[in-house]
Amino acid sequence: MYFLVADVQQKVRTVSRKSERLVNLTIALLATKRYLTKSEIFHSVDGYEGSHESKERMFERDKDDLRSLGIEIEVGSFDPLFNDEAGYRIKRESYELNLGEVSPLEVSLLSLASSAWQGASLSSAAQSAFVKLASLGIPIDELDLPGIAPVLPDAGPEIASITRAIAEHRILEFTYLNSELQREVREIVPTGLKSNNGFWYLSGVDQAIQEKRTFRLDRILGDFSVGKVQKDFDFADEKKAGDTYDAVKITFFAIVDVRQGKCAALRVLATDIKRIGEWDQLTIPILNIDTLTSLILWHGEDAFVQQPIELREQIIYRLQSLVSNHA
Amino acid sequence: MPRKSQSPLDKAARLLDLVPYIHAHQGIALEALAKTFGVTEKELTEDLTTLWMCGLPGYTPLELMDLSFDSGYVSIRNAATLEKPRSITLEEAVALILGLDLIFSVIPTDRQDLISLTQSLRERILHIVKLPPSISVTPHLQPQIQVVISAALADNSGLVIEYHSLYRDELSSRTILPIELQQEQGHSYLHAYCYSANDFRFFRVDRITKAEKTKVERPKDLVPHEIPKVPFRAQVLRSSRETAERFGLGEISVGEEFASSSYSTEWIERAFLASGDSLKLIAPSQMRESLAKRAQSILDRYL
Repeated sequence: MYFLVADVQQKVRTVSRKSERLVNLTIALLATKRYLTKSEIFHSVDGYEGSHESKERMFERDKDDLRSLGIEIEVGSFDPLFNDEAGYRIKRESYELNLGEVSPLEVSLLSLASSAWQGASLSSAAQSAFVKLASLGIPIDELDLPGIAPVLPDAGPEIASITRAIAEHRILEFTYLNSELQREVREIVPTGLKSNNGFWYLSGVDQAIQEKRTFRLDRILGDFSVGKVQKDFDFADEKKAGDTYDAVKITFFAIVDVRQGKCAALRVLATDIKRIGEWDQLTIPILNIDTLTSLILWHGEDAFVQQPIELREQIIYRLQSLVSNHA
Repeated sequence: MPRKSQSPLDKAARLLDLVPYIHAHQGIALEALAKTFGVTEKELTEDLTTLWMCGLPGYTPLELMDLSFDSGYVSIRNAATLEKPRSITLEEAVALILGLDLIFSVIPTDRQDLISLTQSLRERILHIVKLPPSISVTPHLQPQIQVVISAALADNSGLVIEYHSLYRDELSSRTILPIELQQEQGHSYLHAYCYSANDFRFFRVDRITKAEKTKVERPKDLVPHEIPKVPFRAQVLRSSRETAERFGLGEISVGEEFASSSYSTEWIERAFLASGDSLKLIAPSQMRESLAKRAQSILDRYL
């Protein structure tokens, strides 16, 4: 029992000492106007102890740790005229949150935005973002928006690694359940993430075919593996990537007759509706012929395909199978 | 609030964030501060004790941060180098951007000021973390309907809704008393007492096409009735993800049989029509016959 307590105390002390040293290092590197050399750091920053080698090791680890917190440490020369020892500092501009001029109204919009994650994937990141915003010392304006707190659908724990991969152009590899219900390993350079109609979609350039594809997150099985950085990836034509998902060019249309007052799910897809007696004639863009076939069949005798012939053949084939499988 | 882990790195991050927060909230109660940072008061006191030892090299009282928290209220002086908050991380930026998208969708169209503020904030945050603009959210709910539902839930009032039932393929008008909103498989459902059915029902929020508040009498009998389910059995003939998702089957192989049930025979028939050649309905046999007949009569129009 005695050892246990001592152990815990020892652990708390180590945690504190290490965190204390990281904070002191951050303060020192932020406060300095010129680069601090390693020996200056060991000499002046509290917490570097032991042999020279162990100080070196500590410092290397501390640098990595601060970088993993998103703190950029600049490495430079103490005196540009002499090729002497490298020095370190943290630039205030890169360390501090800089959103430019922020008004109380903007702060309240941002805090409303951070509350949209209640319980969903990024709720703890949203909370820490909120803390930082609240630290700007700007009073919050009451927002006279209708009393609602919209909530985002949960995207699972992978959303953080996906967004990191997008930002760093890293290859993502995952197992996807294809439309024939087979497992397929896909490798993409991710370019966008989007939530639509309650589902999350990941889009990216499929490395096997070098074409853009979109994947529904809940059809991805198991974990992602995050691969290497795709260096010469051209993000220039990703400017419009926000709408890649709907920007598929449609040149193929179906003409479907639907009974009046029926087939609401087909009507919402139509780009044109013409009235013909007791029926309405819909023009529907074809994104995926299989899905459209199923949706038309769902509506039974209330929907009838006029064109194109490919869609009619699909419908006929499926109906014939239904008849023969159930006779 | 999820529990924060206690690695030295997490603690260092928290210490760095505590300083500007306290600086902007001088005299904040220990309890409130602990809650904001998701730690216990004991952990917070340890954090503050550690911070007390931090400061500029030299570490004399002049260079150390001056914290006071004995009274149960926390204030800080001499925080100069750390008094501004740290920049946001990629993850925090994504959380804010997607949240802003959602806010954007509920801003009334006459608030042009808020619309442009939201857009400008989105761009500024993307710029900080150097993300492409291709991360976005398109909410599928009509904001006005969501607003009316929230308001009815808040003051326990009734609603007259227009609802599109997918399996009946009908638009109906119903008077309901909303009870709660639930999320399932990416969709929002409104659990409510329905005065047309005299029973409890779930309504998918994106199929509510109109909603208006109305006065209702609270129903006397608040125990849900048992609705009999219709059981059925089927066999997989062709692997289709669409069919598997329609019946909630997961990864199922060709030849496998499964049993399930539904509240509506109409749903079962439509679901099998839509699944075409990928499924075979085995039981009930009556339904199998009527399915074959229905398919034949639709087919006759094409031939």
